[in-house]
Amino acid sequence: MKTLSKKTLSKSFNHWFYGNLTCFSQEHMQTFGYMLSMLPVIKELYDTNEERTQKLKTYSTFFNTEPQVGSVVVGITTGMEEARANGEDVDDETINGIRAGLMGPLAGIGDSLVVGTLLPILLGIALGLSGGGSPLGAIFYILVWNIGMYFLMRFMYFKGYELGGKAVEVLVGEKANAIRESIIMLGTMVIGGVTASWINITTSFKMLNSEGGVIVDLQKTLDDVYPSLLSAVFVLICWYLLSKKRMSPLLVMLILVAVAFVGVLVGFFDPGLSY
Amino acid sequence: MTINVVQAALLGLCACLSSMPGLGGTTFGNYTLGRPLVAGLVVGLILGNVPMGIMLGAAVQVVYIALVTPGGTVSADVRAISYIGIPLAMLYAAGMGWTGAESEAQNFAVTMAATVGTLGTVLFYGTATMNLIWQHWGMNQVDQGKLDSLYLVDWVFPWISHIVCSFIPTFIICLMGSSMVQVIKDYLPMDGLAMKTLFTVGSLLPSVGVAILLKQVISKPVDFLTFFFGFTLCAFMHLNLIGCAIVGGFFAIMNYNIRVLALRPVAAVGAAADDDEEDI
Repeated sequence: MKTLSKKTLSKSFNHWFYGNLTCFSQEHMQTFGYMLSMLPVIKELYDTNEERTQKLKTYSTFFNTEPQVGSVVVGITTGMEEARANGEDVDDETINGIRAGLMGPLAGIGDSLVVGTLLPILLGIALGLSGGGSPLGAIFYILVWNIGMYFLMRFMYFKGYELGGKAVEVLVGEKANAIRESIIMLGTMVIGGVTASWINITTSFKMLNSEGGVIVDLQKTLDDVYPSLLSAVFVLICWYLLSKKRMSPLLVMLILVAVAFVGVLVGFFDPGLSY
Repeated sequence: MTINVVQAALLGLCACLSSMPGLGGTTFGNYTLGRPLVAGLVVGLILGNVPMGIMLGAAVQVVYIALVTPGGTVSADVRAISYIGIPLAMLYAAGMGWTGAESEAQNFAVTMAATVGTLGTVLFYGTATMNLIWQHWGMNQVDQGKLDSLYLVDWVFPWISHIVCSFIPTFIICLMGSSMVQVIKDYLPMDGLAMKTLFTVGSLLPSVGVAILLKQVISKPVDFLTFFFGFTLCAFMHLNLIGCAIVGGFFAIMNYNIRVLALRPVAAVGAAADDDEEDI
């Protein structure tokens, strides 16, 4: 009965933690990072170079997912490789079936939950700590994100190793959905807060009477209705263009350039610059 | 403020480490060093003005708060945003006598970073394409049973791609930065239409960043209420973002508890009040 040593597992995990994307290309994406993190595992489980080469080639098929959440897949296949070395009925197809089957769902979870929600929440808090140019926010983010992600990824790798193929149910179950929905809810609120705190779109539009007195100061009127209303309106317009009109972010940015140009021409926007 | 050879080299090194795909790794490279807020600190340290770096970096961070790269497609390049855009914006701001706290300084930084970030995607495709050479060699080595070559392919040879596509461009552009900034100042008067538009664009661009994020998290119209709840907390009630996150966390926990209750069979809801501890 072969059991992987804790040292080898750590080595395999650390290879993935650091090297999952260091040699990225559009063709192989994370494949080489994957092979490298399986290398210590395979070296310990098999003795001859022929056998090692043959087993390692299992992992030379294409792999790409959100790499941080993806550490669970590396853990799962490590567990399966150990089972295979002990003579259990695991072949290349089973392993690659799991890899291919989890790649897509985990990319979705990782992109929306970790990169799309957790990271903006931390950055939002960090921005709140950066007032007046304080380095506190950046330091907070560096520490919390790196230590948090390292241990989360490590936990997922070892959990995947323990559960092997059974991990799949846990990852796509109903309870996982409930957690996901709740974290997204938190993220949406923080995004609202970031919009109110960090986007500052104002208008300089004023209606004057014949003596030059101000009849309507649009910005003041808007502030009375709902503070930072223009910022919210612009976010909503951009959201509409991106998700309903399916425009690319670059196109929306170009539209904003045009809006800014016209707005400055008609006097709606005036950044109030001078030397 | 100027950038000397050593400073430009340090910025170039940061560009190698931070890009997607970066040599600092995904978590520490791309998602830490590559974030404009962190870059603000790092560039501030390199150029000797941390408060300005942070203030400009924070402004740029809002635009890229949701920089997700699904399936390896990038709309903006973090190394260019962070280690070309922010240093150039700092040079310009210092040349204007700004401290970084002015909205003009921040709007300029946003426009600058967005421009070089978009142009910088060419660096991303350059690096990824060059890595194909090492990978092709690596596959052959594996076929021949030389498995340890994988270390070279994954950790060593990509440095060559990065020296060509990250280090050299960053080094040269930052070194020439002072004179480029002078050209902008000479040819684009501040009260002219071009500069006014440029600064207005800087104030509008963060709304695209937030909208990209909203596109992912909003699945039904009622989700907008959640967004405006957070917005109202900060805009009306003047909570800071930490307070907002705590209130949001409270609601998220309530939502989770309700969802988990709803998952149980109807009859068991009343009885099973305290077996919440199942491990996931």
